[in-house]
Amino acid sequence: MTNPALATMLGYSSSADLTNLELSENNFLPTYPREQFLENIKREGVVRGLESAWKRKDGSEFYVRESARAIHDSAGNIIYFDGTVEDITERKHAEEQIRLLNIDLEKRVAQRTAELEAINKELNAFAYSVSHDLRAPLRAIDGFSKILEEDYLDRLDEEGKRLLTIIQGNTLAMGKLIDDLLAFSRVSRKEINLTEVDMNALVQGLISSFEHECHDRKIQFSLSDLPRANADSAMMKVVWQNLLSNAVKYTSTREIGIIEIHGVIGDNEVIYSIQDNGVGFDMKYKNKLFQVFQRLHRSDEFSGTGIGLALVQRIILKHSGSVWGEGEVNQGALFCFSLPISGGKFDGE
Amino acid sequence: MANNKAVEILFVEDNPNDVELTIRAFKKHNLANRIYVVHDGAEALDFLFAQGDFGYRKDYENPKVVLLDLKLPKVDGLEVLRKIRAEEKTKLIPVVILTSSREECDIMESYRLGVNSYIVKPVDFDKFVHSVGDLGLYWLLLNQPPQE
Repeated sequence: MTNPALATMLGYSSSADLTNLELSENNFLPTYPREQFLENIKREGVVRGLESAWKRKDGSEFYVRESARAIHDSAGNIIYFDGTVEDITERKHAEEQIRLLNIDLEKRVAQRTAELEAINKELNAFAYSVSHDLRAPLRAIDGFSKILEEDYLDRLDEEGKRLLTIIQGNTLAMGKLIDDLLAFSRVSRKEINLTEVDMNALVQGLISSFEHECHDRKIQFSLSDLPRANADSAMMKVVWQNLLSNAVKYTSTREIGIIEIHGVIGDNEVIYSIQDNGVGFDMKYKNKLFQVFQRLHRSDEFSGTGIGLALVQRIILKHSGSVWGEGEVNQGALFCFSLPISGGKFDGE
Repeated sequence: MANNKAVEILFVEDNPNDVELTIRAFKKHNLANRIYVVHDGAEALDFLFAQGDFGYRKDYENPKVVLLDLKLPKVDGLEVLRKIRAEEKTKLIPVVILTSSREECDIMESYRLGVNSYIVKPVDFDKFVHSVGDLGLYWLLLNQPPQE
């Protein structure tokens, strides 16, 4: 035990001071894991990486990592221990700092989460209020204007009836706006639930509904084999519902509406597209495409509140994907959206 | 309105406009004489449990159906529903919620508390009249109420 390095570590001036120094009496702390040391020696004959706090000559504490082996005599009794000791005080301090920083971080995360939860709760309350309270007066306006029409039929001329029809039309439009706003806010508040989505089945189902609804029109849907997606299936349904609805709406002036749907697997993403031969739009306004309540056509040309694409974008962004559109006036439109493939889950279809 | 001994529909609604529109809709289907209107949750409970001003209803029959709005002053719709389902005297009465809200939480909570039907009042009055007619005919004529 006359190692100069050990002398320095323990705060002695020279290794000579270490002779006859009984470590266990002078330099160990009450916290020294004696039992564990002996246990390890008994079990494996060595101790590896045992960490504990020791005391220097001046009483100051420091951290040590020791490895040791027992040296036996011919009879198998332990004569002494031989090993190495490493001063790990700096590392221990760094670990302690990290631990404290983590606690602080946890506290801040908890605080931020609480703030966000409060905001979300407020939004929920807001949507709830909109749902209940905005609809009632609308119902009254529509109802009483209809009662007026009915009860005063003989006293109303054509103009009077026209005015009432305008009132009623606007109330229904506002009702639809409220519904759309609520749907939009609901999507923003909802958590994504990712599963493997069979896009073929989903889109096919929607196409069947549209075909049924638009039985009086000639629409050709062509659906190529779509790759599966890692997405929230309810939200994907909303996306396709809106994209298809737009395609159907804006091809309504064509004798035969042609709507084609494709999907392709790219690097780390799957891209879906829907192309129509409808009235298209002017690319000059493409920045307004996905904005809430922004429309690129007049409401007497094509009905709509302007929330469909905003809703699609909100959902796709929630999935960390992207959505874009291209079109030309009278030459139709193409809308595409991409979804990330997570962790190489799909090899392709 | 019903002379309240023979009340078949207890209608719980605080908004006077909605009351007027609903009664008019019932009138169109000749069902208006079977309705009694109360304007808040507390009144509804007094009526059903023959308390307060409705003490005289002590031995009267239960209504065939309760039409309940959710947003009510004093005691709200869900609380009324909870109390109806909690008491022996009233727990079997069919309750239909008729409300503006289409919120998932309202619908789920209502069914969890044992509502029999949940109907959203449309903004469109014609549709509303149609729904009320369907409602009235179903619960008063088609549906079999529990025997007293």
